[in-house]
Amino acid sequence: MSALNNKSPYVIDDQKISFTFDGKKYFGFKGDTIASALLRNNIRLIGRSFKYHRPRGIYTCGIEEPNALVQIPSEYNDPNIRATVKQIYEGMVVESQNRWPSLKNDIGSINNLFSPLFSAGFYYKTFMGPKGFWKKVYEPLIRKTAGLGKPPKKFKSKSIHFYHNVDIVIVGAGLSGLLAAKKLVDTEHDVLLIEQDNFLGGILKNTKKIKTINGQKVNEWLKKTETLIKNSKNINVLKNTTVTTYNFSNHLVALEDKSVGNLQEKNKPELVLHKIRTKHAILANGHIERFISFRNNDLPGVMLAASFEKYIHRYGVIPDNSPVIFTNNSSTFSLVKSLIDLGCKPQAYVDAREKKQIEKKTLDLLDTHNIPAYIKSEIEGCDGKNKVEEVSVRAKKNNITKIKTSMLCVSGGLNPDIHLFTQSRGLIKWDSTQLVFKPNSSFQNTITLGSVSGNFSYKKTSEEVNKKLNFLEETKNLEVKLDINDFEKFNIKELWETKHAKKSLWSKSFADLQNDVTTRDLKQAVLEGFDRIEHLKRFTTNSMGTDQGKISSVNSLGIVSKILKKNISEVGTTIYRPPYTPVSFSAIAGRSTYKFYDPERKTPIHPWHVNNNAVFEDVGQWKRPWYFKKHDGETMYEAVQRESKQVRRTAGILDGTTLGKIEIKGKDALTFMNLVYTNDFSKTKPMSGKYALMLGEDGMVKDDGIVCKINDQHFIATTTTGGAMNVLSHMEEYAQTEWPNLNVYMNSVTEQFATFNISGPKSRIILSRVFSDIDFSNEKFPFMTFNKFNYLETEIRILRASFTGEIGYEVYVPPKYALALWEKIFYYSKDFDLVPYGTETMHLLRAEKGYIIVGQDTDGTVTPIDLNLNWMIGKNKKDFIGKRSLIRSDIVKENRKQLVGILPLNKSENIEEGQHIIESETLSTPIRKPVKMLGHITSSYYSPTLDHCVAMALIKEGRKLIGGKAFVSTPNLKTIPVQIVKPAFVDPKNEKLLS
Amino acid sequence: MLLINCPYCGERDQSEFSNGGEAHVARPKNPELVSDREWSEYVFIRANPKGIFYERWVHTHGCKKWFNAVRNTSTDEILKIYKLGEEPPTLKDFKNTPKTPSGEPKVGSGNFAVKKL
Amino acid sequence: MKKKYSFFSVLKNSLSYHENWKKMWRSPEPRKSYDIIIVGGGGHGLGTAYYLAKEHGLKNIAVIEKGWLGGGNTGRNTTIIRSNYLWDESAHLYEHSLKLWENLSTELNYNIMFSQRGVMNLAHNEHDKKEIKRRVSANKLNGIDSYWVDKNQIKKLVPIMNTDNLRYPVLGASFQPRGGVARHDAVAWSFAMRADEMGVDIIQNCEVKNIKTSKGKVEGVETSKGFIRSNRVGVAASGHTSILAETAGIRLPLQSKPLQALVSEPIKPVINTVVMSNAVHAYVSQSDKGELVIGAGTDGYNSFTQRGGYNIIEDTIRAIIELYPVFGKMKMLRQWGGIVDICPDASPIISKCDVKGLYFNCGWGTGGFKATPGSAHLFAYTIAKDEPHVINAPFNLNRFISGRLVDEHGAAAVAH
Repeated sequence: MSALNNKSPYVIDDQKISFTFDGKKYFGFKGDTIASALLRNNIRLIGRSFKYHRPRGIYTCGIEEPNALVQIPSEYNDPNIRATVKQIYEGMVVESQNRWPSLKNDIGSINNLFSPLFSAGFYYKTFMGPKGFWKKVYEPLIRKTAGLGKPPKKFKSKSIHFYHNVDIVIVGAGLSGLLAAKKLVDTEHDVLLIEQDNFLGGILKNTKKIKTINGQKVNEWLKKTETLIKNSKNINVLKNTTVTTYNFSNHLVALEDKSVGNLQEKNKPELVLHKIRTKHAILANGHIERFISFRNNDLPGVMLAASFEKYIHRYGVIPDNSPVIFTNNSSTFSLVKSLIDLGCKPQAYVDAREKKQIEKKTLDLLDTHNIPAYIKSEIEGCDGKNKVEEVSVRAKKNNITKIKTSMLCVSGGLNPDIHLFTQSRGLIKWDSTQLVFKPNSSFQNTITLGSVSGNFSYKKTSEEVNKKLNFLEETKNLEVKLDINDFEKFNIKELWETKHAKKSLWSKSFADLQNDVTTRDLKQAVLEGFDRIEHLKRFTTNSMGTDQGKISSVNSLGIVSKILKKNISEVGTTIYRPPYTPVSFSAIAGRSTYKFYDPERKTPIHPWHVNNNAVFEDVGQWKRPWYFKKHDGETMYEAVQRESKQVRRTAGILDGTTLGKIEIKGKDALTFMNLVYTNDFSKTKPMSGKYALMLGEDGMVKDDGIVCKINDQHFIATTTTGGAMNVLSHMEEYAQTEWPNLNVYMNSVTEQFATFNISGPKSRIILSRVFSDIDFSNEKFPFMTFNKFNYLETEIRILRASFTGEIGYEVYVPPKYALALWEKIFYYSKDFDLVPYGTETMHLLRAEKGYIIVGQDTDGTVTPIDLNLNWMIGKNKKDFIGKRSLIRSDIVKENRKQLVGILPLNKSENIEEGQHIIESETLSTPIRKPVKMLGHITSSYYSPTLDHCVAMALIKEGRKLIGGKAFVSTPNLKTIPVQIVKPAFVDPKNEKLLS
Repeated sequence: MLLINCPYCGERDQSEFSNGGEAHVARPKNPELVSDREWSEYVFIRANPKGIFYERWVHTHGCKKWFNAVRNTSTDEILKIYKLGEEPPTLKDFKNTPKTPSGEPKVGSGNFAVKKL
Repeated sequence: MKKKYSFFSVLKNSLSYHENWKKMWRSPEPRKSYDIIIVGGGGHGLGTAYYLAKEHGLKNIAVIEKGWLGGGNTGRNTTIIRSNYLWDESAHLYEHSLKLWENLSTELNYNIMFSQRGVMNLAHNEHDKKEIKRRVSANKLNGIDSYWVDKNQIKKLVPIMNTDNLRYPVLGASFQPRGGVARHDAVAWSFAMRADEMGVDIIQNCEVKNIKTSKGKVEGVETSKGFIRSNRVGVAASGHTSILAETAGIRLPLQSKPLQALVSEPIKPVINTVVMSNAVHAYVSQSDKGELVIGAGTDGYNSFTQRGGYNIIEDTIRAIIELYPVFGKMKMLRQWGGIVDICPDASPIISKCDVKGLYFNCGWGTGGFKATPGSAHLFAYTIAKDEPHVINAPFNLNRFISGRLVDEHGAAAVAH
């Protein structure tokens, strides 16, 4: 038995570290994983299984672990952590999962008693009655039992992304990976060598299979090679980094753990996600041992043979001094050898192969050391309470011998780790000699080396490396001589599961450990017709655990192929879905989170808004003042009523900087503008503006704004805030792809000007004071004209336009001067009570006037005709974008929805936006039959000027209904009687606007 | 993750680009002369082949230039990129690529068996 | 129903070591001809065959599937079911489906685990809020259970949600209590089983290569197992529908694009309802196994590779972490992609076409799973009667010519 002080001689670090597991304190050494440290302390029981809550221990020594998953309360309660990967640090707190109240006495293990019922598809066949029980009783209960670990705690990641553009990526720094790297030392190829572990060498350090390389001891050779690689000008090495994803175009994603063996530092990235573009990817990522299914093959104490060996050599811990070894292949020779070298003696050696198949070296060793050998035999099962106590060996048909032991090492063969290769969409094939799926042909620039290619013998490694990499320029043939202490040629006997000696309802062989899928489940699934491997996976949940069946999925295929009497290659494999191992959400998100989630765009006036108690609204990425709170107690409603009243009484100013501005220039600018807008700009006078509509090719309103014509070759268009990018893209697309013959260029100038909208009866006099040299009189500065003016050492543009119905001006000023000018305007308007207003007041004022807002009064299904904007369509124009769509058969029909105004009959009643116009006065609730809806309220505000609510609506055949009555629904399914009117409530004759 | 070789800027990640659907769909010269059906074909119907696809891309987060590409939509391989106005390659240039290769394997669903060109 | 499932059938079978279960469906070789051929063995296709047999008495039917049953979008989606759509046409369609969902386990005697845990759609700005309130009002008047819930109510339903300290705060949501999730594979299997019991031939691993027509009529389909005659063919092949349509000379307004999804490692229950956010592109629910099931956005280009851009996954995960800070430590277990066929108006097509006897059920975009029984039911009606049901009449092909679209994404523009 191993104990802390009874360690193997291979341990590297002596620094003692303490940690707790389920509240109890243990010691391990620096470099230990949770698993190796617990094994050092003789802890075998680590967790409980998903469905049956069966006791589970440590099965493997790496990322393939299905059982030993733990929770780390000292790291924000990080769940489902592989104990076989995660390294310990001083003070680490570890807890077992999926058990209550304790790991030893878990109430959930009662499920095991009922396990004969919980067969594959159990839930699909049960819990269907009586009526209502599923929803109220069964389903909530089932859901409660979900999951393995507990949810993690709130955590703010510092993880970052790192980009690489290289020529060659080598995945895995084992023997083949290192040889590949060595071959590329000091060449012109830009190389990235990626190793999952925290050291280079892989198998060279995890086993004693290779004694010398080129006459040097392995460690010496490793040291030299590492130095050579490190000093090479062209090779970068990433350790603790796992390649998780292999996308198209040789794009790889790798995850680097920056805090291996340490508590995560608060202010440094704990994870780095490397995003790699490469010309060639060399996969040298090895293989993973697989298990064999037998009765109780899940008991703590059953461990994969190569993992056992790795614990000895890598961690210096001997999990057990006298295990029973069970194998069907050549690979277990080195385990026998390692144990004997340490003076340990396996209790028994059970090999399914014929004697002549077994390596002579192995037989000699067993013979010399008097180790009982059971040839052509198999393990029928094992027994014990919470751990292995006894194994049953079946030599001949049902001739069972029982052997007392506390550990059973199993090897069912080796699986080339083809996960990444198949992610790259490479093709695999079944090798019926070695019984493996191995790469057949690459789809991308992918090269596989070593055991991932299915080459398990080290003898030919250098030959393979040379053969596959010699095409790379500047590479020379490597001469590598290995002194190997391993099997010569891999051989294996097909054995996926062993038969139970006695048929019992409760006896189980597992095909998938984590998801508690038994071999019986697989057989039942096939019986029910789930003979396609994807169906089987989905019906039984086989290989859908966090380990994705790394040690077991090929076995399941083997078992199924036997039942179906098919070749395993005909059964096929399921898709290996990325990532290779689970990847933290934080790492995927990287730095574009929290305050960097999405940029906040702010206008130059923003600080002023903040100082003046603006409440902001998100419009796209922009922060826009929604309304200004005059005092803390003021509600939004009060503020908006106050602001809008004041605009109509004196004047108001709105920060309109966020509106998109696009400058269009070129010899054919006029032709172009006539094509992208509905309006005809041919007769528009220079230096004047026009309210303009833009349609999609489907004839639906896409955007609106004011287009200013400087001359036929130069226009400036404004867009909605949210539409700015789309409008520019739309214009670019047509200019480049549809009308490349037109000489026209466009650019966004949104950020180059701040825009102030000043409107109200006093706006003229205020601006006259601010710009004393400009004549703002109606004659000199009529509605919809604009001009450029010198201002300080810059130039500004002023346009007379209005979105409120009052006299109004838009001032365009370079951002640098904007805030000062804004303050200056306030300085000069002291006598006139200028009010700053936000978007809500803007919406209210324009609604009173009957102006639409694209995106509020339209929704992508509305034509200009629906909006009564026929006057904006250039009648003489032969074509513009969307024109043809306006005469389609269903578009010209009069029964479309049209924009109208809505007034409540009872002036004190308030209409809510988004409510619907209906014909009937009462609604019978609950509503069982759909109620006929004529349309919906697009805008609704309480007008302080008129002292009642004004609303706009899109109503079926609305124009015909003007003057009539209807009802508007409320959220409580009451109705409000309303009158349908023209959508203009204030100054319908534009007297104020044009004054 | 596509790697797109913008003819003006060079190779960039797909996230810098936007796709514009089928290429070489000409807008009717005289829209008012075409029927409702022909017009709807122009507005709404685009080729959607599994295999060789002539398509448009724009380097949205870059030079904002539109260009054309030929891509195999069953493998996402970009076979050719050419500027607007340049002569499109003919289908014959890609004769080894079947128009609708049946990529899926006979059994299972893994290991999408697509033959490289 | 030949196969009866219940607690007792499981108990009985457990005593015989589960060795006496019967095959859920046969695997027949195709016959030379059928009265009706359905192309596509996903939920929609299998359901169509089921309803044709059950409600229209038509039994001489084959469902032809290129791969394995339910292996396309049926087995690749995030299983969200709801009916709170804006337009009357859509609302009626999805509500028809939801009503069928509510009785489906009993009807098929197979527990498809329809979990009515409610579906929430979040509003992150004033524009969202207006859109959602409008939709809720329309839903209510259409008799659909749809409510506006404020921040406090959201907090009660989903305590782990961060509503305030994020770039785009949560301002409220619509909530449909009858919405939820279901076990997607089981839907395909159970439809297949019951259709098979009524005599429908389900033929897997058989690819339809083209649809043969003559003089404007369907004659049959050319498959990898030879020609199969039929004068009625219904195509429900999602991403591949337009390719098949083209072989019959029909051009459909469809584009096939990658849509991705992912699941996390399983944890104990932490989120008890389905939460969708269009604005930041994150859809999440927790499966009965404990995995977070997360839907991502669509890529902008056409592709049949069942794979999308990694950047789309990144965007989704970012949004998830914004909304649920406790998920920072969660890990992505698997990601995958499907091929969704999208119509210009983001609404489906369940329609006849110019070729007599040829019918299409396609264009479901990202929302096909929730429609499965409804769509199948209406498609069966359309094929059996050679005319659309009143519910699917608006979802015809002619709408793209006449302009009468059912535009479900038009309302996405951002206001001033």
